Parts: sequence; structure tokens; C-alpha cells
Amino acid sequence: MTWFKKPVSVKGTLLALLLPAGILLMALAWLVHGLLLDRMSRQFVETRLKDEVAFLEHQIRDSNGRLNTLQTGDYFQEVFHHAFAIHSDSRTIISPENWAPMLMPLLESEQEGTLRVSDSRIAGAPSDILAYRKSFRVDDQAIVVIVSEDLGALSRSQAELHAWTAVVSLLLVLLLVGVLWLGINLSMRPVVSLKAALKRLQDGEKSRIDVRAPEELQPLVLQLNQLLDSLDQRLERSRDALANLSHSVKTPIAAVRQILEDTDRPLPNDLRQQMAGRLSDIDRQLEAEMRRSRFAGPQVGKSAYPLKQARDLLWMLGRLYPAKSFEMSTVLTEERRWPIEEHDLNELLGNLLDNAGKWSTRFVELCLNEGRQGFIITVEDDGPGIPADALDSLGTRGLRLDEQTPGHGLGLAIVREITERYGGTLKFSSGSIGGLKATVHFPGTTGGIKQ
Amino acid sequence: MRLLLVEDDRLLAEGLSGQLEKAGFSVDTTGTARGAFTLAEQEDYRAVVLDLGLPDGNGLDLLKRWRNRGTGFPVLILTARGDWQDKVNGLKAGADDYLAKPFQTEELIARLNAIVRRSEGRVLSTVKAGRFELDEHRQSLKLEDGTEHSLTGTEFRLLRCLMSRPGHVFSKEQLMEQLYSLNDNPSENVIEAYIRRLRKLVGAETISTRRGQGYLFNDVV
Repeated sequence: MTWFKKPVSVKGTLLALLLPAGILLMALAWLVHGLLLDRMSRQFVETRLKDEVAFLEHQIRDSNGRLNTLQTGDYFQEVFHHAFAIHSDSRTIISPENWAPMLMPLLESEQEGTLRVSDSRIAGAPSDILAYRKSFRVDDQAIVVIVSEDLGALSRSQAELHAWTAVVSLLLVLLLVGVLWLGINLSMRPVVSLKAALKRLQDGEKSRIDVRAPEELQPLVLQLNQLLDSLDQRLERSRDALANLSHSVKTPIAAVRQILEDTDRPLPNDLRQQMAGRLSDIDRQLEAEMRRSRFAGPQVGKSAYPLKQARDLLWMLGRLYPAKSFEMSTVLTEERRWPIEEHDLNELLGNLLDNAGKWSTRFVELCLNEGRQGFIITVEDDGPGIPADALDSLGTRGLRLDEQTPGHGLGLAIVREITERYGGTLKFSSGSIGGLKATVHFPGTTGGIKQ
Repeated sequence: MRLLLVEDDRLLAEGLSGQLEKAGFSVDTTGTARGAFTLAEQEDYRAVVLDLGLPDGNGLDLLKRWRNRGTGFPVLILTARGDWQDKVNGLKAGADDYLAKPFQTEELIARLNAIVRRSEGRVLSTVKAGRFELDEHRQSLKLEDGTEHSLTGTEFRLLRCLMSRPGHVFSKEQLMEQLYSLNDNPSENVIEAYIRRLRKLVGAETISTRRGQGYLFNDVV
């Protein structure tokens, strides 16, 4: 549709489509109505004419062909309101008289059945008639009967009816336009209020969209609100992180600078060690906060190829721990994607595998699985494992991430935090060969993303 | 033991080179990628400590250039970026180990000694079959067009087994010996799963199935 310029609004599109369609359909209905009306009245007149001819025939047969005995006069005209002609060898009756010039040629013609005469210019007679002609014999006497009706009168009333139909159709079209307008406006009302809500949001009058949107728009509103939530959370987190960081970094910096500025003061060994300790504190804080701020968390439109990432990490750890074997068993294909942000998945897998690699004696196995209940990552090693009573506190230690000591569970704490961010669970248990077995389970509400 | 230290932070380079000298290394220091490249051409180093952020180029690119020329000395990457992906990229570029700044000098020295020890007596060992080349040390598969695929341990062992005798049919039992698994009795399905994974890498027709007998590596495809 090149002539159809794409309208910018939904309302415009609906109107541009529905209005012409409605009008066109109405016009079509009107035309069809005219044709049907025409056909129906023609058929009706035809049957009536036929019946009347049959009646006349019956009458004539009853009187044994003696037309004289027929009660003529105005009888037929009055009863049937039709013109008729009866012709026998001896006599011809035409009633009313002024139709004679029209009916005479028909009597003489040989055609039987329904006849149509139109556009005849005979004064006093109608110009358009429908006639039914029948010839039969009564006592060896040939008789022809014709009954006819003035079509002009019929089509005049028909035209009147058709005109009325047109008026009604027009009214209906107007009504349709009204209903369409109303319907579109009513159904667009939530969108309008959504628009207004967005405007208020933009102006800062509101912090969330609280419009009751119709079902079709509910996901949109939900998504927007979630996005706003995550933005808020991110801002809050980064502010917290920066506050924590500046608090815990500036003091050691001040202390170290104080010592370095004092040129008269010698630098004995224990002072050096203290300074190094302060610097380590700074590093630890930085590391923890940075790793934490890098988590993306569940995000729309973010996904990762778990198999490819796992393969790279396993290969890398295999290089870093050449004496150990890092294996993978999986049901996934290379093209499979999981709705987890790439960096988050890397951090999760990397920390689990690195931890397993540190403790294993010669073997680490990673399992990537998925089922109806979600995505499951299992990492198992053949190391010494840890006592059962310590399993639950692993990776938590009841501490926040920034209170963890690097190299002592920081990795597992990161794994736990990422898992929780995605609404998953992290469980530790004893493996089948005595080592530690870590299981991460993500609820698969989205069911993954098909390529 | 001669060592090349590529680090553009003068303070860190000086301190580090002093500590490394104390640990018995004889250290050459340079702060630029170009300087490092020339030095490595002229001298014979046993190990390189490479900082990634250099003023005249990326350390990874320098490392790739060395590896493309077949330079075999072990390289330890030093960087402030401790991301897993950075580590993967570093090792893929040809590094032997990776240390995030800041670090303890003792750890650096321990790791340097480890990679030097590992590289001793290392000869270039690759298995070639058809269009493919298997690198033993890097545990990776090189294709004709130069792309490299990293392999997990079992994938590597299976492929090495198959590629060692192209055209020879290996039974599932023989291949199963290459498997390490936590499960004591790995089923034959496991082999099939690995073969499927390997076929993704080398192409379906390169590893053909002999029904009832096993698999063979087809090096003429």
C-alpha cells in the first residue's frame, strides 16, 4: 500500500483502516440489497401473473371456451389490478382498453411464458411492462391469455424503498463512525494515562509507574518498573560502595602519608610492615568493592553461552594447574544460551572452578545441566573436602563481601552473592569421592533463550 | 638465570628488579613494547615478566607477536585487571601464568620458578593430522586458517589418541581409557557425547563412525 502513508498514532491507524472499510462494506450491502430487492419483486410479480393466467385458464375451461359467458367488465381489473388480454378465434378481450396497442403484438407473437416490454412509447399505456403469455386449446379452439403488470409503478416504489435503505445505511455509517471513535478512544485510554504517567515520571513527580495498565501492556509497565528498581538499587549500591571505600581507604592513606612526610623519622622494619599492612587493607577494600560493583545481576537482553565460557575457563585453569585435570560433562549444545550476564557467569564459574582447582589433588569436574526446574551448575573436586558442620557457612561466614579476607572464601562469597542476585541457590555438600561439591541452581522461569 | 622485566612504572620496575636480583635472577628492564621486542630478539631470556598496559602498545599484542614467531620463553603477565576473562585472554595469547597487581614479591618469584621449571626440557611437540594440529603444551587445536580452539583435558586426550594414528579404528573401550571421571564406570554414552563435541570442532566427516567397531580420524577430508 504505497498510497497509504503510515500514520504515527494507533488511533490514526485504526481510524484510517476501519472507517473506509466500514463505509465500503455499507455501500456494498446497499448495492446488494438493491439487486436482491429487484430480483425478489420480479419473481413475486411473475408468480402472481402466472397464477392469474392459470385462474383465467380455469375460468375459460369451465365455460367451455365461450368467452362471452366470462364475467368480464371490470371484474379482473378490480380483482387483480392487472391488465389482461384474452384472445380466441372469434373474439379478443383486452382490459383496460388503452393497453391494447401494447398487448396486441404480444398476442400475435408466438413466444410463451414471461415476456418483457420496455421503452415502448405508446400514449396512455405504461412504458415498461411484464407479461405472462399462455396459449391453450379448449374444444379445438385456440385461446391465448396474457396477464401483464405495469413495472413502472413497481420500480417506483422499489426505488423509494431503496432510497430509504440508503438513508438508513448512511445513518448506520455515521453510527459506526461514532462507535469506532468511542471504542478507539475508550480502549486507548490506558495508553493515554500511561503516557501521562511517563510524563510525570520524566518530570520527577513520581518515581514509579502506578497506572493500572490493561493486560497487553502489563509486561511493559512491569519491565519499566523493574528497570527503574534496578537503576535505583545500582545507584544506592555504588554510593554505598564509594562511601565504604572512601572511609576505609582515606584513613590508611593519611597514616602512610604522615609517616612519609616526616623526613626526620627513620623507617624501622616494624613501621615498614605497618605501612605495608595499611596498603594491603586499601587493596583488599578496592578489590572487594570493585568485584562487587561489576556484577550486573539479572538483566533484560543479557545472556551468555555457558559452554563456550566454561570451556575457556577449564582450559585456562588446566594451564595454570598443569598437574590437574579439569573436565566438563554437559547436556548443553554450543549454541545454548542462558539468561545470565556474561561477566557474572564468568565470575561464578571462574571462582567455583578456581576454588576447586586449589583444593583438588588431580581432578575437577564441572557439570552444566538444565531441566524444567532451571539451570544447574555443579563443580566437584577430589580434594580433602571440608567437615560437614562447616558446609553451611561456606562462602558466607556471616559476613559481608567487603569483610572477607581475600584468598579465604572471597571467591565463594562472590559466587553466593551472584547466585542470590539471580534468585538462585548455592549449596555445598560432600562429593562422591570425598571432595567438595558445589551446586548452583537458578530457577529457570525464562526457560533459557533459544538461538 | 636471565629475565626480562617489561614494566613502565619506574618505581615498581626498580623495586621489583632489585628484589628479583636478590632472588638470583639477572634482570633486564624495559618500559616499552618496542624495547622489549628488540631485547628479546638480541638476548636469550629464560623468562619474561610482562606488564599489559605499556605506553606504546598492548602487552597482549607483543606476546602474540612473540608466539607467532615461535618464541618459546615462558611469560608471566602482570596486570591490574584481574578479571577471569582477562586471564583467559592472557593465556590464550600465549602467557604461562598470570598475576594481578598488587602482589607479594615472594609469590611472583615462586610462580616464576614454577613456569621456568615447567618450560625446561620442553620441546615443541605437536600432533599433526590432515588440516589439524594439536599443541600438547597449550592443549589446543589449531586449524589450517590459524584459529585456535582450547580443549578440556578429556577432549584433548581423545583427540590426541585419534589423531596419533589417522585412519586407524579405535574401539570405544580403547577410547574410554582416555577418560577421567569421578564416575568409576563411565558408560559408552559418555564417549559418544565427547565425539559429538569434537565433531563440532573438526567437522562431522573428520571423525567417522565404524558401526560396531569404533571411531577413526579421517585425515584426508
